[in-house]
Amino acid sequence: MFALEEQVEEKRSPWGLVAVMATLALIGVAAWKYVNWQLLASLDFSVVWDYRLALAKGLMVTLYLTAIAGLCGLTAGTVLAALSQSRLALVRWVVVAYVELFRNTPILVQLIWIHFALPVFTGWNTTALQSGTIAIALQASAYFSEIVRGGIESVPKGQWEAAYALGLPARTTWGRVILPPALKSMIPALVNLTISFFKATSILSVLQVSELMTITNRISNAVYKPIELFTAAAVIYFVLGYILSQLTLRLERAAK
Amino acid sequence: MNFEIQHLVNNYPLILQGLLVTLRICAVSLAIGTVLGLVACFMKLEGRGWPYRFAVAYIDFFRTIPEVVLIFWVYSCLPLLFSFRLTAEASGILALSLFASAYLAEIFRAGINSASRGQVQAALALGIPVRVIWMRIIMPPAIRRMMPALVSFLSELIKATSLLSAIGVAEMAYQASVLGSKTFAYVEFLSAIAVLYFVTIFPLSLYVRRANQKLAGKAGH
Repeated sequence: MFALEEQVEEKRSPWGLVAVMATLALIGVAAWKYVNWQLLASLDFSVVWDYRLALAKGLMVTLYLTAIAGLCGLTAGTVLAALSQSRLALVRWVVVAYVELFRNTPILVQLIWIHFALPVFTGWNTTALQSGTIAIALQASAYFSEIVRGGIESVPKGQWEAAYALGLPARTTWGRVILPPALKSMIPALVNLTISFFKATSILSVLQVSELMTITNRISNAVYKPIELFTAAAVIYFVLGYILSQLTLRLERAAK
Repeated sequence: MNFEIQHLVNNYPLILQGLLVTLRICAVSLAIGTVLGLVACFMKLEGRGWPYRFAVAYIDFFRTIPEVVLIFWVYSCLPLLFSFRLTAEASGILALSLFASAYLAEIFRAGINSASRGQVQAALALGIPVRVIWMRIIMPPAIRRMMPALVSFLSELIKATSLLSAIGVAEMAYQASVLGSKTFAYVEFLSAIAVLYFVTIFPLSLYVRRANQKLAGKAGH
């Protein structure tokens, strides 16, 4: 890792390499013995192509849920972050309680809670997709607000004072002075958060909301080809997620 | 709507048992994940060659695919590919270990990279052995710097264990949904486990916030 260290490490003993080789050989032998070659030979990935339309539909629902998380998260999160700067202690406490509640419990629990408790409390029966949308929007608002709050607090105090000295109304102060630089500095973090919600949509499959993971599960149960289908799902999630995160990296470097 | 606390009073041992399973799974996958993560971290620190490329691919892959996909893949595909049986809990632990190792590798790497280059060069110039440099100069500040990220990952891991209920591991979320379907008291049981998760995870978040403030304060001076 350090340039100077390389000179010292030249007299490294060959035992490390031997150990690595031995481990690899052991893993190789074990794999050879235990791998189910018959099944491996009979893998048939054409099933993925046969069900491409269903999978594409599932991916659409996944992207829809990701978009909901991003948009609701950003708007509600910004509102929550602005409220967290309120002069009223009560408002601040309510916001903190909301954010901490959603950040410190698993989304799976929130999701099932919303699905079962909302009909009981409001008498409004939600479909799985509606419950999923509500849960992911609520969770996203809590996570986004935390990032936007960080952005708002990084705006120098002088900006607030200048806006106050100029007698700008609160709306202009927020809309023109505080939020633009706050959000701009947070763009990479916000995109990263959206990517992690892209991953989190797969959790909604426990309610069968017919996003990519639900569809994969269903097809795999119907045709009993779990390896082909789950691998395909993993590849789809990986390719999309990887492209998005590489773009964010570019964005971060460009910003610097 | 009436909140029937009686259901909770009757069934709390099962919920607490679920909490224990949750914590046990966390501890085991954190331990395995640390070992795998350290290996991946040092391979990535090489900076070139095939171990480096393998580590980069490994870390990127397991950080990018959703945990649910990984859990289902390990649970339903591994036993088919290899002719051995894994219990649901074992495959859950394996999936979470892989997930943890990728994240921990990046945390370790960031910690080690934050070591002061000047101090290491000074130590090398003084002829201090590499092993001692690692133990005395690189590791202590690295550990201090990576604690907040480690603890915040631990809270992510605790939340992720709830996903294992989908493959029937008897952890807390699973117990709650089973009890819920038995008694139709979903709201009671889900609220109870939400409180238990919160009580477990909130102290960790508080610590992370404090530690980050402390680190930021130190950097400011």
